[in-house]
Amino acid sequence: MTTHVRDAITVVHGPQGCTHHNFSLLHATSLDNDRIALPPLVSTGLSEIDVIFGGEGALDRTLDVVIARDPGAVFVLSTCIVDTIGDDVGMICGSKAGVPVIVVPTAGFLGGSFQTGVNNALIALAGMAEPAEGNGQVNIIGEKNLEYEVEENFAEVSRLLALLGLSVNLRFVHDLATDRIASLGAARLNVLRDPSLIPVGESLKERFGTPYITMYPVGISGSVDFLESVADTCGIDPHRAVDEERGLRQETLDDFADLAGSEVSFAPLPPDPEGSRAAQDIAHALRLDINPSGRPVPVPVTPPIGITGVRRLLHRWRRALHA
Amino acid sequence: MKQIALYGKGGIGKSTTSANLSAALSFAGYDILQIGCDPKRDSTRMLMQGRLIPTVMDQVRERSAAAVMPADVVYTGFNGVRCVEAGGPEPGVGCAGRGIIATFQLLEKFGTLTGDVIVYDVLGDVVCGGFAMPMREGYAQEVYLVTSGELMSLYAANNICKAIQRLSARPKSRCRLAGVICNAKNQPQEEGLVAEFARRVNSHLVQFIPRDRIVQLAELNRKTVIEYEPASKQAQIYRDLAARIMENALFTIPTPLEIDDLEALAIEFM
Repeated sequence: MTTHVRDAITVVHGPQGCTHHNFSLLHATSLDNDRIALPPLVSTGLSEIDVIFGGEGALDRTLDVVIARDPGAVFVLSTCIVDTIGDDVGMICGSKAGVPVIVVPTAGFLGGSFQTGVNNALIALAGMAEPAEGNGQVNIIGEKNLEYEVEENFAEVSRLLALLGLSVNLRFVHDLATDRIASLGAARLNVLRDPSLIPVGESLKERFGTPYITMYPVGISGSVDFLESVADTCGIDPHRAVDEERGLRQETLDDFADLAGSEVSFAPLPPDPEGSRAAQDIAHALRLDINPSGRPVPVPVTPPIGITGVRRLLHRWRRALHA
Repeated sequence: MKQIALYGKGGIGKSTTSANLSAALSFAGYDILQIGCDPKRDSTRMLMQGRLIPTVMDQVRERSAAAVMPADVVYTGFNGVRCVEAGGPEPGVGCAGRGIIATFQLLEKFGTLTGDVIVYDVLGDVVCGGFAMPMREGYAQEVYLVTSGELMSLYAANNICKAIQRLSARPKSRCRLAGVICNAKNQPQEEGLVAEFARRVNSHLVQFIPRDRIVQLAELNRKTVIEYEPASKQAQIYRDLAARIMENALFTIPTPLEIDDLEALAIEFM
């Protein structure tokens, strides 16, 4: 999350190994999304001697080096060992001036999950914004930056918002500049990527009074539900947009009518129940016959987003059925 | 080679006892290495004429582990006793326990852990895995508890029994409780109480060391009692302790007491 603030530097306070995996993962994911760049991620590189004598000096020195590069902000993530030996990360970060240095508590052994870390990071980043005058736009909160279709999914959400006459204010956080974070509180609505981000939605609501919805337009029926939910929260009449989207949905079903009656099986089912539900809904809408002896068709790990996502999935199904 | 460790409540006299024990053993003709395992680094001071020797951790910090030589960390003190201080972080930062582990690894690498007897003088409480290092496999097999008759001191000794019990249960572990040393505070019935405590935790009282002002006088002169007043009664007691430790063959897995039982025991001897 924090590395998506492109002009900021993220410091991981711990041994090098705690940074390596993140660095590799972020680098590989960037390449998959056609972005050739090294993630702005720096380790304080703690050694055994730092652990014995305390790692505060190493953090202090790393912060000085990093701040000298004139970043928009510095985010400091903690690790298990520094919270075990009791380094006062907040005190060191608080002693730096000129650049915002923001602590994101991420010592895994203190509990929580990947999602807790994401939420903590977003809430920490939101601390850089002040209440602002409304601009009538919409924030997208907590996009899954590691999923392959993050850009396609965002394009679909933007398309649906545009049907309602709304535009996107911030992708919080995706490919963002530090100074843009200031406008976080100006939006009229926050769209959370999924319900696990509710703590972030609540925090933003408390600080800026921004209402939120917890859904993305998942599967064949999600687009219309999404339009209605956004319109309802913003007090907009959704009828024209909903009619248009229903038309697009019918058009899609017509385009793939040749698949009707085919026998398909979903094997193996993804662990995400939302994904398998979305796949079943699409199969029913196209009058496909789901049975274990049917031809296996792929079900993506994360469910298709919007009609465009459904179309992409149906192309894959058609290829599988005609193979 | 005999490896022994002294554990006990902070301030109970472990370092004084260790230094006098090492001095007495050296006069009995043994080659002795004393290792202070406490960031306070004052275990070997009386053997070094009051000098605080550079610690292993300070050396490693200043010039990296690869550059440190055995001669940088082993200092020869009174009557040839070799002295090492583990050292560690300033109070309130870092991880002293890891410092002990790192020290052991370095001494192991140097091949420093040799001689007739190694005396490990360990910090007050076994607060974490690092301070249990001297009890681990390959190091001290004989643990001596230093305690007075005061309840808090017995409580700490009892707590250390729990650590010995846990560690001795490990496969291949040869760490055992070797006995209890009573460093007296001159309380009534103190020897009886500590002897009974030792019996209840499945051990025995090895030596009763009465409180004597000569210990403080020796310390003010930056010497062990053995060096300062070799003819004194107290010096003889330390020599007795040394002899008993060399003869001792009673090594047990301790049976720590419940706190209620410990209190009841103390009341019996009030």
